[in-house]
Amino acid sequence: MRNPIMVGERVYLRALEMTDAEPLARFDAEETDTFMYRGRQPQSPLGYESWLKDVYKVAPPPFVEFAVCLREDDRLIGSMGIGDLDWVNRTGETGSYLAAPFRNGGLGTEAKHLLLEYGFERLHLYAIMSTVFEANTRSSAALAKQGYQSAGRLRWHDVKGGVYQAMLVYDLLYDEWRAARDAWWANQANKQPTVTS
Amino acid sequence: MRAIYLTGETVYLRAMLASDKENAAAWYASPFPINATRAEEWLKEAHTDIWGNNKPRHYLIARVTDDEAVGSATLTSRGSRRGMLTFAMAPWRDDADLLRAEALRLIVPWVRDDLELMHLMLTVAADETATVAAAEDLGLQRAARLRGFVARPTGRVDRVLYEALNTPWRVGDA
Repeated sequence: MRNPIMVGERVYLRALEMTDAEPLARFDAEETDTFMYRGRQPQSPLGYESWLKDVYKVAPPPFVEFAVCLREDDRLIGSMGIGDLDWVNRTGETGSYLAAPFRNGGLGTEAKHLLLEYGFERLHLYAIMSTVFEANTRSSAALAKQGYQSAGRLRWHDVKGGVYQAMLVYDLLYDEWRAARDAWWANQANKQPTVTS
Repeated sequence: MRAIYLTGETVYLRAMLASDKENAAAWYASPFPINATRAEEWLKEAHTDIWGNNKPRHYLIARVTDDEAVGSATLTSRGSRRGMLTFAMAPWRDDADLLRAEALRLIVPWVRDDLELMHLMLTVAADETATVAAAEDLGLQRAARLRGFVARPTGRVDRVLYEALNTPWRVGDA
């Protein structure tokens, strides 16, 4: 593993490096889903390099961003982080992106639990929020599995397809996250094949 | 320098001035202090794109009677469509909630009818009751409630999110 900060069974989180600019730009170019953002946009590696140059400059930072990597071969598979960090009120907002080929296999949830562990147990945040476009039911389902509770709905958050789109708002407290993580791990353990001697 | 369309009975709003560097504690949106030198830099950085639509715009909230700075309002917008309002009030003001509420009553009609933003968002602590009442009087709708997102000396308070849609938007030749 390369410079790991949070380590799970299959994935780990590390700081983003300048060498990540090219794969991050490639993920954007190969995006298959259209419902997550205002619209897909190819990004230049130069843009990511410009962002990465300064991303860890300020301490304490206004946001913390991680690379999500596979333990088996150190491959970058996405990025996630906690933004809007409020060091006085001890709150933040999570955001995550997993490249299309790596979705739906539980890797994102495992990485997200590492991120939430970092937020609650290393940064000692009191509460964490997240938002998701209403049409992005996959992310909503993932947030529910991670323990997030519905906090409301911004009805006119943005326009997409010529129609106002709602943004769902979620929040999460420490105990809720712990319960969700324990349940997720228990479920993962049940999925493991039985070892016989 | 007060804007005539942003002047109420008790407070008014105006653009920030270089001289505001001397009393940043009244308007700077952080509990961490900055001195006049840093405040001057910050003011210059904040005003480098006078015609731009994407940089937050900051307005000083001052008392009508004596021009004393009592806070600031920041309008963050993306293009000319959506805006988010945040406030920072002078920490020593016991009447901060009332002053902010009056400032809100000045700003919202301006954002809606003059700037004609399509959509406005406001976040406010649930115990800032005058501001909450003003938001609801002005037609903003409560959209979300984030549990315990504000730390107070006596415990945690919810943060509430309000939003308003500028309904007159329509196709001109329809």
